Amino acid sequence: MFSGSVRTDMKVAIGAILAVFLWTGTASADVLDRGAFAAALCGDAASLGSAAEAVTRRAADLSRDDLAWAAQPLRGILERRLVCLGTSAVLLDRPGAGEGRSVVSGDPQPAAGARASVLGLRQRALVETADGVLALLAAPQVEARAAGLWAAERRIAAVPDGVFARAEAAETDAGLKAAIARVAEAAALSSPDPQRRLAAIDRVAGAPSSNALSRLSALKADAAYAADPAFRAALDAGIAQVERAVAVGNGLAILYNGLSFASILFMAAAGLAIIFGLMGVINLAQGEFIMIGAYATYGVQEALRLIAPAWLDLYLILAIPVAFLATALVGIAIEALVLRHLYRRPLMSLLATWAVSLFLINLVRVAFGTRNLQFTMPSYVSGGIALYADFVVTWNRLFAIGFAAGTLVLTLLVLRATPLGLNIRAVTQNRDMAGCLGIPTRQVDRLAFGFGSGLAGLAGVALAPIYSVNPQMGATFIIDSFMVVVLGGVGTVVGTLIAALGVGQINVLIEPFYGAVAAKVIVLVGIILFLQWRPEGLVAARRRR
Amino acid sequence: MNAVTGSLAATRAAAPMPVQRRYDAGLLGLVAALVGVALILGLAKPETYLVNAIGQLAALAILAVSLDLVWGYLGILSLGHGLFFAIGGYVCAMHLSAHAYAVTGTAPDVMQFMGWASLPFYWTGMTSAPYALVLAIALAVLVAFLFGWASFRSRVNGVYFSIISQALVYVAMLLMFRNDTGFGGNNGMTSFTLLFGFAMGAPGTVLTLTIVTILALAAVLIGCGRLVASGIGRQMLACRDDETRLRTLGYGTTALKLKIWCLSAAIAALAGILYVPQVGIINPRVLAPDLSLEIAVWVAIGGMGRLSGAVIGAVLVNALKFWLTAAMPEAWPFILSGLVLLVVLVLPNGLLDLGRLKPTWLSRGMPR
Repeated sequence: MFSGSVRTDMKVAIGAILAVFLWTGTASADVLDRGAFAAALCGDAASLGSAAEAVTRRAADLSRDDLAWAAQPLRGILERRLVCLGTSAVLLDRPGAGEGRSVVSGDPQPAAGARASVLGLRQRALVETADGVLALLAAPQVEARAAGLWAAERRIAAVPDGVFARAEAAETDAGLKAAIARVAEAAALSSPDPQRRLAAIDRVAGAPSSNALSRLSALKADAAYAADPAFRAALDAGIAQVERAVAVGNGLAILYNGLSFASILFMAAAGLAIIFGLMGVINLAQGEFIMIGAYATYGVQEALRLIAPAWLDLYLILAIPVAFLATALVGIAIEALVLRHLYRRPLMSLLATWAVSLFLINLVRVAFGTRNLQFTMPSYVSGGIALYADFVVTWNRLFAIGFAAGTLVLTLLVLRATPLGLNIRAVTQNRDMAGCLGIPTRQVDRLAFGFGSGLAGLAGVALAPIYSVNPQMGATFIIDSFMVVVLGGVGTVVGTLIAALGVGQINVLIEPFYGAVAAKVIVLVGIILFLQWRPEGLVAARRRR
Repeated sequence: MNAVTGSLAATRAAAPMPVQRRYDAGLLGLVAALVGVALILGLAKPETYLVNAIGQLAALAILAVSLDLVWGYLGILSLGHGLFFAIGGYVCAMHLSAHAYAVTGTAPDVMQFMGWASLPFYWTGMTSAPYALVLAIALAVLVAFLFGWASFRSRVNGVYFSIISQALVYVAMLLMFRNDTGFGGNNGMTSFTLLFGFAMGAPGTVLTLTIVTILALAAVLIGCGRLVASGIGRQMLACRDDETRLRTLGYGTTALKLKIWCLSAAIAALAGILYVPQVGIINPRVLAPDLSLEIAVWVAIGGMGRLSGAVIGAVLVNALKFWLTAAMPEAWPFILSGLVLLVVLVLPNGLLDLGRLKPTWLSRGMPR
């Protein structure tokens, strides 16, 4: 909201500036005298140079037609395709061809006996600049316009402001547009005209980023900083403004990273919390279920690559049900084979699930190797949008956050609105009584274990675009998610959510100041102290025993 | 805070019930066997490699006994016992480094890695072996006390306690992986040259160290055996089986658990002290959560709730590990996980149950 309004202001300001430029442009619309221009090109070196210089100076005001037309002979000079018969310029298709077209009329014209146009070192520079400016303004291909920008940037002092403003307004390619804006800004910042410089400083300060900060700070070394009080005041104010904005932007970025970390933690911990609340079992293999989810995502990607390469981009979406089901099935199998026998001995179930995790890690290691899996990033999770200063909302993290939100809704729906959820809540509250009332507690256990495992699989899908995927990846998150369960309380999704947000944010908040290790130490000590006050965690599940 | 319960417990202690002392024949036999092994080693002087391996096994067995004391007898499964082991090990390594520095003048690795001119202040006095020994035990007990007190008084127990203790050892590992702590960072400490002035790798030193470790194991077994056979041992079992009832009967379970927990930490630190000179290195990997979990695996495989079981489990699993990680490293994790599942599902009391095989689904409600 805050960043949005600033951004709107900025847009309005830029729009107003552009409008002014465009208005002056159209008001003093200029017409090129094509005949005189062609004749000047065939004059001596000085006349050629001044013709190129003039067209550069007037480029912002000339019509697009004139620009495109003038670009032809200028390019011809550089490529040695322009020859002169007296004062009449002829453009050849290739250097040394016997016939060409008249530059002015476009009619075919023999070029026998024509002399090449004269090009000195100084004139070459002027022609190159003019050629670049014209290409930037009128070339149909992006590459040609980019090359034009580069040529114009090399002799930036000779290029009038209006050229960049016009080029930026007309540019359709986003990357090039940004590049033009950057060059224009640099031109304005180093302009000899003080008014223009002040306006440029204002403009740079209006679009804050650490890059803008370094560009403004560089100006402190400028002679005008010491000499001109107005300039100094404007620059200092600009720097202060950018510094504030960058600090806010960095703060937002930290919160955003914390949110995405918390999302992963929540997805890993939600299943743990449900299972723990229901059966008193902590599943040490939960991290490996995350890994299975990520590997299932990889499997979907590879399958799509084989079957339907055109749909490859959709693999992350398709992986959602696949990873959920695959992990849920593994979970149900482990419950049926191992955990079923251990419900009265929860400490032994720790060892058993650890053995399962050891087994799964090594199975995957033998089957797939230890290297990180390569994922192709679908377009919808690569890149991001710069929201405010240096704060970029990256799509892959937003994907994880959205995914976690979806998981939260799904989990709440399953627990609150399905018969299975009703049974899970009943058995969590009082297993014996639920059993007496005819609820098949063992079956509920199995389904709940499958559901909790499936949630971990979903975490694996969300992780795939963000973190490296390898057999050991589960260990990275597992201890943090245990802490989330302990802090949040047993068997509550809401408690898990709050705890995940807290642990995720605290980790990310402390990290920049004291390092990742200190963050973990503080979180652990904080949790131990918190348990002194509320041993049951943030949200104590209702139990009737 | 527990004035009432404490005095009640005191009354009970003053008027002892007829405690039936269980002289564990297996335990006595094991102690006799250990002393025998020590004698044979001392007389036969076998290859240094073998002697060293036996010594390491004995140190790990002490570690297993320390965990069995709290898990098998008190029902507290610590997944962070590697922390106390590491405290003993690190302090021992500091003593060895400082001792060699004082005698030979070669700067310890820690100083060389960091380019320090002198050792940090907390290395002061490390040249003195008695000081290092006392410090190691005291530090382990202090950490155990703080963590145990905070946990037990807020009645954190069972699986909760296990995973918090795991987080503790994990955080300690991250901390020790930092290079600026003065403990060698991820390289740890190694290349010790002298032990009490004797060359580290010399056959005589290795043999002596091994015999000392075996005798220490025997002493720990005797001490713990007496403890668990005493009235306190009875309380421990009662606390394991039903803490609420024991508390209701007027015993201060928090104090009981805290005492045994600290004792266990001290024994684990002792194991670390004896282990490090034998392997010649310590680094943060001893703090990996997996290692702490493996200690519980040794105990579970050998048979928890019996001190001899812990020793047998530690020796068997580690001997197997020494052999298999060299012979077929790929297969070892599968064998280990298979062993754990086998023991957990089929032999709830570990290998000592092999004699009277009784599947768990017939015997639910075994001691946790």
